[in-house]
Amino acid sequence: MASDQPAATPLTTPRGGALSLRGVEHDYGQGRDAVHALGPVTLEVPAGESLVLVGPSGCGKSTLLRLVAGFETPTRGTLTVDGDQPEPGRQAGVVFQQARLFPWRTVGGNVELALRLAGVAREERRARAGELLARVGLEGVAGRRTWEVSGGQQQRIAIARALAGAHPLLLLDEPFAALDALTRERLQEDLRGVSAQTGLSSVFVTHSVDEAVFLASRVIVLTRAPGTVALDVAVDLPRTGVEPDELRGSPEYAAFRAEIGAAVRTVAS
Amino acid sequence: MTTLLARAEEEAPTGAAPGRPRLARSASRWRRVGVRILATGVLLALWQLLYSLQIWSPVLLPSPGAVWEALVRTSTTNDGVVGYQGHYLIDHLGISLGRIGLGSLFGVAAGLVVGLLMGTLPWVRVVVEPWVTFLRTLPPLAYFSLLIIWLGIDESPKIWLLGIAAMPPVAVATAAAVVGAPATLVEAARAMGASRWQTTISVVLPSALPEISTGVRLAVGIAYSSLVAAETVNGLPGIGGMIRQAQAFNQSDVVILGLFAIGISGLLIDAALRAVERRVVPWRGRA
Repeated sequence: MASDQPAATPLTTPRGGALSLRGVEHDYGQGRDAVHALGPVTLEVPAGESLVLVGPSGCGKSTLLRLVAGFETPTRGTLTVDGDQPEPGRQAGVVFQQARLFPWRTVGGNVELALRLAGVAREERRARAGELLARVGLEGVAGRRTWEVSGGQQQRIAIARALAGAHPLLLLDEPFAALDALTRERLQEDLRGVSAQTGLSSVFVTHSVDEAVFLASRVIVLTRAPGTVALDVAVDLPRTGVEPDELRGSPEYAAFRAEIGAAVRTVAS
Repeated sequence: MTTLLARAEEEAPTGAAPGRPRLARSASRWRRVGVRILATGVLLALWQLLYSLQIWSPVLLPSPGAVWEALVRTSTTNDGVVGYQGHYLIDHLGISLGRIGLGSLFGVAAGLVVGLLMGTLPWVRVVVEPWVTFLRTLPPLAYFSLLIIWLGIDESPKIWLLGIAAMPPVAVATAAAVVGAPATLVEAARAMGASRWQTTISVVLPSALPEISTGVRLAVGIAYSSLVAAETVNGLPGIGGMIRQAQAFNQSDVVILGLFAIGISGLLIDAALRAVERRVVPWRGRA
């Protein structure tokens, strides 16, 4: 089975995606109606880190992700990605909770649009889209309509689309929350694989402790709103050469799970 | 990678709606066609019955047979008289359809531009919206008088009338759809680095297509219903002109024939537009 698959072409991921947050705070609304959603958060994240943000609902973890994506600007403090102010589509690819695919384009067309916006020449797009889809475990679906594929496949397509820009940083906002448990585990495993293969930096938002421990090289637990850093822990589980189930069954995994779980319960109570 | 591939295929598609088997679907379609033919037959029988009861004079209510004879008469040359007023029925209809086509084309194009501007530039919306509504509420016959004074009695006032009538529904639908473009998809495009212009072209416009296509169908329908108004002056040849002429001579059979010609061709054109819509907007109701 393995022999008839073409060797995966390495993604040209430029090294980068280092985050620097200094006293970052964010308010929604203005004046007396302003709601303090986040911060102050001060954080240095070197390139290549798989950062996972965990916290109770409404703690501002999605807000933090939106700030890094450049969709919002911090109300106070400074935030840079590789030394620059974040701008949408410049430094990072984004995967949302819903796949947000464009139904007027085919599966392949969705990825090709992302490639076009990333400045890839027309004649290269089709082949590159095929490579990206293969990378997230999809083949033979490029011609399908977006509503003809399953929820898990839709989210895979969204990840392929976010990888199209070849940015050093990937941002994911609870991307697997709406999927069934089995599909969710598979996607976690595949994302972990892609991340290990490419050395991609990533920020992943979730409220699941299991997901956090499994995916992270570093976990940040945020307090209730306005979220601040309650726990910052490096998860030094092996990134390659270990079976997912073996990893989930290991005592080290259980220890991280217990530590982070306790922190999440503390901030939630 | 291989294991991943195998796994991805296992995830069962949930969105795919295979629908009923082809055989059952075509059977239900034939049943529907059958019911329609039957209903039409019943209506024709009722009409014949009313005629036979002689409640109204045949001048007011001609028989179905008389209308059929009018169809034959207007489609052939009798004693050197060509069709109706020198043109066959099919030519009257063809000329009118040409006017509707041209008028709808201009109206839809203008409506798209106006709607897009209204949708993207708030100040344009503020200024233009009441005028579009104003135009929409005017009966076409009312501004036709002005068009005659300005443009004469040839083709141009007719095309203008149909265009003006067809423009507002497209403009309103386009503006609403552009304003209502899903924020989630717009943000997804921004996340891919799309500029404002690229977002409009690649996301806002396509997401507006289902509503725009409804607007276009409405527009063609309104152009259709404005046809007789457009052909009140110097409307011959033309199916609206034919109806007005027949009215002047109390030829109710020809009037009814004209109504059927307009109605049936309208049905066919709407069916054609719907077929086009299914091709252009296959995701309608799916996503």
